Amino acid sequence: MDVTAKPKPRVTPDNRPFWEGCREHVLKLPWCAECGRAFLPPAPVCPRCFGERIEWRAASGRGTVTTFVVVHQPWFPAFADDLPYNAAQVELEEGPRLTTSLVGIADEDIVVGLEVEAEFDDLDGETTLPRFRPRGPGGPRGSSGHAG
Amino acid sequence: MTVISDRAAIAGIGASRFGRHLPESQLALGAAAFRAALEDAGLDRSEVDGLAVNLGWPLGLDYDRIAEAFGLDVRYVNQTWTHGRFVTMALQQAALAVGAGLAEVVACVAVASFTRERDLLGGPGDFEGMREEGGTHAENPPYGLTAPAAGAALAYRRYMSLYGATTDALGEVAVTLRSHALRNPNAVMRKPMTRDDHRASREVVAPLRLFDCCIVSDGAVVVLVTSAERARDLRKPPVFISGMQGIRAGRDEFIFAPPGLGINQQRPGRVTPRPEDGDALRMAGIERGDVDGLYTYDAFTPLVLFVLERFGFCAPGEAHAWVRGGRIALGGALPVNTSGGLMSEAHVSGWNSIAEIVRQLRGEAGERQIAGARYLQWATVWGDSIVFRR
Repeated sequence: MDVTAKPKPRVTPDNRPFWEGCREHVLKLPWCAECGRAFLPPAPVCPRCFGERIEWRAASGRGTVTTFVVVHQPWFPAFADDLPYNAAQVELEEGPRLTTSLVGIADEDIVVGLEVEAEFDDLDGETTLPRFRPRGPGGPRGSSGHAG
Repeated sequence: MTVISDRAAIAGIGASRFGRHLPESQLALGAAAFRAALEDAGLDRSEVDGLAVNLGWPLGLDYDRIAEAFGLDVRYVNQTWTHGRFVTMALQQAALAVGAGLAEVVACVAVASFTRERDLLGGPGDFEGMREEGGTHAENPPYGLTAPAAGAALAYRRYMSLYGATTDALGEVAVTLRSHALRNPNAVMRKPMTRDDHRASREVVAPLRLFDCCIVSDGAVVVLVTSAERARDLRKPPVFISGMQGIRAGRDEFIFAPPGLGINQQRPGRVTPRPEDGDALRMAGIERGDVDGLYTYDAFTPLVLFVLERFGFCAPGEAHAWVRGGRIALGGALPVNTSGGLMSEAHVSGWNSIAEIVRQLRGEAGERQIAGARYLQWATVWGDSIVFRR
């Protein structure tokens, strides 16, 4: 592993549709066709009913920040220029929570309960990370007004 | 009475010196602790026929290397993948093994050279955090989220928002545990800490500061477990394992948050203590109010608050206020981690606190003795627990 590079997501047979969706700028979630609910993290069976019929569907991309942190420690050489930077958990409208990061807002303005919407960060030709941006009452790109 | 209750006991404890950047090898630290434990119990090395290890490769010594180097001939081994969370499991399995006749004397051997292996604790060297869907403390390296501290920080931020808690409550925990270490000549951290020192310490992963994170240290502890009958004939008074409950796992569990807080996929809604979180007390036949002191895995200050709530010493959302005024200090209503814990004594994965429980119940804790200590509880935020009695 190249320790100077930012780590990439590990794509597995279980989560491949998620990362392929991100490349197409669509946030997709696994749904159980038996009990009809979305879940995360991706898995070959439904954690509620153990059903095996898993369907991938586009999610709304909207959610709410349930918690967040601001990293100050230079753990990764590749993130040194980003310090300090945030990471957050977002509860999607469909229910599951996703670990991600927030853009379009200063770290000191982030609060639990912030309503956000997914956008997509194309790191290179292969990997796209979903990140989330505040959404205001006026529309998807909202009135957050913060540089970040 | 459950069949395992009071059937096994700790007969001996031993420790190496604790410090940072110690020159000794892990084997040397382990041998020093092992020798001290045998001497404490009055047991011969040849009488140890079992090993329990929760810190093997990549951090510490594996069971086979220990047996080979120390000249042991064991017939029972339990080794988990290296994690602090498996302290309770190692000790419980040792008690079950001697209770079931799989071994006469099990040595729980914990050796940690964290200063030498600190790359494991976050960043590119934390290969466990690089697993698919991230690490077990919510590490997510593509977003730069790494190290167990991140999980504790995620949990405490949400706790702050739900209950109006502040980071000053964490300062109370850090200062209290440091005050305990000041009464412990073997503690690594011997410099007094004030609330202002805590506030002034640098941010690591906000809301956590440096003084919310345990020390990175080197050291070894060995705990010898045998049957209650055998222990009664040995040099020191037995410390009985009276009640226990196992580690919890499931979608409502996150390693560094009480159930219901809402981290990862935990369903929101705090109900604590849940009936099953009182299993160890019930097995020991005591009430929560009978517990004379609480010992916990204090890798990060929020974990102390969370364990107080999970085990019902206070209600959900109350711990940040409950700990004020010396309640968890020596002399308070519920002294916590009286040797200084991972925060200020040493990070021997919690075994240093298990050794302290034994000293306390024997009345050997010197100027930090809990007067008349009869029942002490080890309990972790991930829900496992052991009740010890003298």
